[in-house]
Amino acid sequence: MAARVENLAAAVARALAGIGPIERDLDAADAQLGDGDTGGMIARVIGRMAATDLSEDRDMGVALTKLAKAAAAATGSSLGTLVATGFLTVGKAVKGREEVPWGEWGPLLATARDAMAARGGAALGDKTVLDGLDAVAEAIGAQDTREAVAAAALSAGRRSLVNFRDRPCRMGRARLHAERSVGRDDPGMLALVLLMEASLSPEAPAA
Amino acid sequence: MKKLMNKAEDYVDEMLDGLILVHPSLVRDGESGRVIRRSAGARQGKVGIASGGGSGHLPLFTGYVGPGLLDTCAIGNVFEGPTVNSCLEAIRLADGGRGVLRLYGNYGGDRMNFDMAGDLLEDEGIVTTTVLGNDDIASGDASERDKRRGVAGLIYAYKLAGASAEAGADLETVTRVAAKAVAATRSIGLALSPCQVPTAAHPTFTLGEGEVEMGMGIHGERGLWRDGMKPADALVEEMIGRLLADRPEGAGERVSILVNSLGATPLEELFILYRRAAALLAEAGLSVVMPLVGPFATSMEMAGASISLCFLDDELAGLLATPADCPFWKVG
Repeated sequence: MAARVENLAAAVARALAGIGPIERDLDAADAQLGDGDTGGMIARVIGRMAATDLSEDRDMGVALTKLAKAAAAATGSSLGTLVATGFLTVGKAVKGREEVPWGEWGPLLATARDAMAARGGAALGDKTVLDGLDAVAEAIGAQDTREAVAAAALSAGRRSLVNFRDRPCRMGRARLHAERSVGRDDPGMLALVLLMEASLSPEAPAA
Repeated sequence: MKKLMNKAEDYVDEMLDGLILVHPSLVRDGESGRVIRRSAGARQGKVGIASGGGSGHLPLFTGYVGPGLLDTCAIGNVFEGPTVNSCLEAIRLADGGRGVLRLYGNYGGDRMNFDMAGDLLEDEGIVTTTVLGNDDIASGDASERDKRRGVAGLIYAYKLAGASAEAGADLETVTRVAAKAVAATRSIGLALSPCQVPTAAHPTFTLGEGEVEMGMGIHGERGLWRDGMKPADALVEEMIGRLLADRPEGAGERVSILVNSLGATPLEELFILYRRAAALLAEAGLSVVMPLVGPFATSMEMAGASISLCFLDDELAGLLATPADCPFWKVG
């Protein structure tokens, strides 16, 4: 059981299909302490990724790198650049392979998490998207089917939101509002969960 | 909040279209047209200076491209850093063969994208250095200066490093001057009303009609306190007091002051602020060199003002006085 380029393309298409409410929810979450445009930014990223033609690609590395470039071209925001960094890192790691077994995605996400931490300067525990990614990477571990990976990832992502909700943000603009960030979801962590819900859930609309 | 625009997603590109029509000394370049460069291009043999940042702050950052200042500037969407590609193109277009200083404000997105662009350019043989503006004293304690944001005081680094580059200095010297300018500059702002990102549904923050927020950042980042409106003199006294309390170690007796509008605050009110600020600086034994008053770094329709102080020694004072010319600031 392995992921192929068509799985990637389908996941992006499902994310795009569900982007309307995601955009609204993320804008609302960002408006609590930020300027309220994270949803619009993520919508641009997903839109640009979905417009990327992967139909002729077989190499997972090439496809992930194309998606990374699409994200990087869509925005210069911190979160968007971290997304691009994560895709680029995994793309490099699987370059030349047409299939990536589901059991490898935990370690691959951990590699992405580390590259994103190096690029952005956040540490685990700072209440950023890295904490959500860390929880997901650990939870999916060596799950070897798409269904098991999706279920473990969603569960871990949602749990990380709850676990961090009452903790203060220690990174970026939100660190300036540390006490006000308590009781609120970090928009980056929320984006990860909402996008996973759209792209991985069995009930998500098909591509 | 009402804005004079067409489609929100066209806000930046249509603004840039107008900017270069009015100012032919500036040219849009790069694959997505999100780099502004001098119309004459990079001067061979001169150290290049590339900057970048989100839109919504004109004249900062884009407006300071010109002789004696920046060579190029990468532009992001409103309050968003420029993309990696735009950063990369801005560095390339600034290169005159003697290296490029990346000089921009200390913001996460800008930093990540310029860093990534630098990584991608390693193979092209363009030597780059980086200096980050971090003049906003309200955005971090003095013990954490490297975490502070860059705001209006960044224009002093543009001017001083730009003068050094224009005079033929090498990359090491231009970088040293830029770092020295950043280390010599302190800013603090206050907000009277919010602004709104064109694509967002609501203003970036709310502030009561009778309230003022001291220390607010240029994207609406929370400040030091919020209270009822006070007389201008009282606000200036606090701002100058905080800036002088944070003055750099070894700072001399000469200082340049910038009283800046955040967008909606008129020149009249800036002069009211300047009047009291000048008196306070004189009382502190400081002599003012090249006072600047006007909109130099804004947050669209936000009402409010910031004050920046750049403490000068002989080297910086000399560089500040040399000619420079961009659409929004002319010296000499």
